[in-house]
Amino acid sequence: MVYTRKSPALFIIGLVMLLWGWLNASGNIDGIQQYFQKSAYSDHMKVKEKFDAEFRVATEMAAAESKPAPEMKMPRSKFDEAKAFQTKMCYIFGGVATLLGLLIMVWTPKEGNLDYYLSIFPGMAYILMIAFLVRWGLDPMFGNWGKAAQPTLGWNFASIFNLNYVVLGIVIGIVIVNVFKIPDWAANGVRTARFFLKTGVILLGALYSATELAQLGAISVVMIGVFVLGSIGVVLYMGRRMNTGNSMTAVLASGVGVCGVSAAVAAAPVVNAKAAEIAYTIGTILVWGVGCMFLFPTVGHMLGMGPVQFGAWAGTGILNSAQVAGAALAFDPHGIETLKVAEIFNITRVLFLPIVVLWLATWYVKHEVGAEKVDLGKVLFAKFPVFVLGFILMFLLSTLGAFTPSGHYQGKYFSSEQIKEDKLLKGKETRAIESELARLKEPAGAKQLQDFFTEKAINIGQRHATPEDAHKGLAELIANKKMTTRDQERLLKAVGKMKGLDAVTANAIDKASKAAYHSSKTIGAFRDWLAWLFSIGLIGLGMQITMAALKQAGGTPLIIGGVVGTAKAVGSLIVVLLFVKEFI
Amino acid sequence: MKTPLKLLLCHHGTTGARRAEELAHELAVPGTTTLVHCLVVPEFWAGMQGDDWLNNASTRDAFGDYVENMLENDAKRELVAVASRCKERGLAYESVMRFGNPAETALAVAGEIGVDLVVIGSPRQKGEEGLNSRMELEKLVRGLTCPLLIAPHP
Repeated sequence: MVYTRKSPALFIIGLVMLLWGWLNASGNIDGIQQYFQKSAYSDHMKVKEKFDAEFRVATEMAAAESKPAPEMKMPRSKFDEAKAFQTKMCYIFGGVATLLGLLIMVWTPKEGNLDYYLSIFPGMAYILMIAFLVRWGLDPMFGNWGKAAQPTLGWNFASIFNLNYVVLGIVIGIVIVNVFKIPDWAANGVRTARFFLKTGVILLGALYSATELAQLGAISVVMIGVFVLGSIGVVLYMGRRMNTGNSMTAVLASGVGVCGVSAAVAAAPVVNAKAAEIAYTIGTILVWGVGCMFLFPTVGHMLGMGPVQFGAWAGTGILNSAQVAGAALAFDPHGIETLKVAEIFNITRVLFLPIVVLWLATWYVKHEVGAEKVDLGKVLFAKFPVFVLGFILMFLLSTLGAFTPSGHYQGKYFSSEQIKEDKLLKGKETRAIESELARLKEPAGAKQLQDFFTEKAINIGQRHATPEDAHKGLAELIANKKMTTRDQERLLKAVGKMKGLDAVTANAIDKASKAAYHSSKTIGAFRDWLAWLFSIGLIGLGMQITMAALKQAGGTPLIIGGVVGTAKAVGSLIVVLLFVKEFI
Repeated sequence: MKTPLKLLLCHHGTTGARRAEELAHELAVPGTTTLVHCLVVPEFWAGMQGDDWLNNASTRDAFGDYVENMLENDAKRELVAVASRCKERGLAYESVMRFGNPAETALAVAGEIGVDLVVIGSPRQKGEEGLNSRMELEKLVRGLTCPLLIAPHP
């Protein structure tokens, strides 16, 4: 079978991207960009005003000294950076799309790997173009409209309904598949959306600290354990009471209990679900999942939830795993803290999946007369989510320092050697520390330090910190004009917050502490790419949600799914509000 | 009413379709009428993996194969059952099985074969369980060039 459709679509998409890149680079659409990038443009005007003033002064000084006007270059503003980023993205991806589009137009595809892999590019470019349109156009446009309508409405509709690039991307995906249909030339590439989401989750592995992963992992195992097993138990009980049939009950239990459509897909063949039962289950889960994706972020904002609480709630309460990522990003579109929490819950769910499928297979064989026994080992092996190994590998590589020095937190790491000359403490600051050190060496000062360390339980390694440690740390700071070890930095950072400390000394410690931490470019790039990967993945998944599938929701499965889904959402919300605290 | 030479029966195993089959049998004349059985596997099955993204390719393939086999077996069973009932009555029988939109497929088959009458069942009653894949009556009525008979709900 030949997969590549001979069409100029990819070539045209490539040209459109290149055109947008060129228009940005040439400044021809600055007027439009001013509207879309309001905040960045405001920064641009400030930078320009400052530059103009400096240039005027420099010119006047040069004229007074009878020298030629100086050559000065205006520093890049956020607006310039945003335009440069769009240009770069458009040139790279537009260039690739144009070349591959030309190849598709001139080459006669034949069966084989080249044909198969080439066939996915038009669809990928199609989703990418929509992602550009949503992130650079619709997202800021709705933001502007929301703010403009606020005085009249009294509330910001874009903010309340979370009309950001994530929600808009998914909605556009749903509209395309249901109203316009996915073009034939794009069909193969659109299916690769899963690959982008999985790659996003794998990259996300590099952004956790060991402590964070352990804490989130523990919460997620407890919550998912209770709510997954609980909801499966309730569905099995209700299904038996309402005579829905064993295979129907089992496939519904998997979908409602674990991770939605993915669980139903995994369990259906194992429990011999019938066609109508699969349709009912998937329809019910999709209706519930899409509804929750819009509802959860709004409720989360209304209740003033933080990333950990919301991530834990969405990760437990939303039936379908794709909408968990969507809701997390809709709640917090410009950060990844909520996504990090939600994805740990998603990963825990998917790790539960093989076990739950085994449980349901065993339950089905026990209750269904004539059911064939299932090879449990084979099921366990086949359903294991391999991409989770990628996530773990990235976490280990990151922790061991493959991308940035080990011991980093979210890409920030300590390095004394990399502190730049201009970041060293100045004479005024070291003199202030010297005088403060002399005071702290006096009995009263030493007692103040001792009391502070005891009250705040400050340790160095396994032992309690002493005033002598602080004296030594401050002396080294004066001598080196910078922090030299992480222990010194941690101790002095705590000392800097002690009441009664001289303000100049406190500021100098804070400055030296900040100067010792550096951001990893690799991890920074991971963070940037994550948002794009999830954005592209979720637009593609939106294109898999058909109204025809949603319409299959109904009958007894919808009643059971509705009852258990509501109980799970409300129950997990109560547990999260009562027991889960913010720690990120 | 003239005896139909080619009668298109849209039948996919529901109660309404069974009623349409009975009506078709009443109208068909053995030795004269050929009953063409059109069975459509609704196109919504193509989107039935929904937005699953967590499973690996082998699990999705296993699900796809499982659903495909099941739909094929269900359809074959239905074709065999209708064929055997036609045989009992001495009616000539032909079958067409396609994947797609029910109304569009019925129109396409009616045009290709040149039928003189199309018989379908009435829509499922509200509250009655079953797959949600209704025949778009307006599309069918506007597109057909031969009479359409809708069997009343049993």
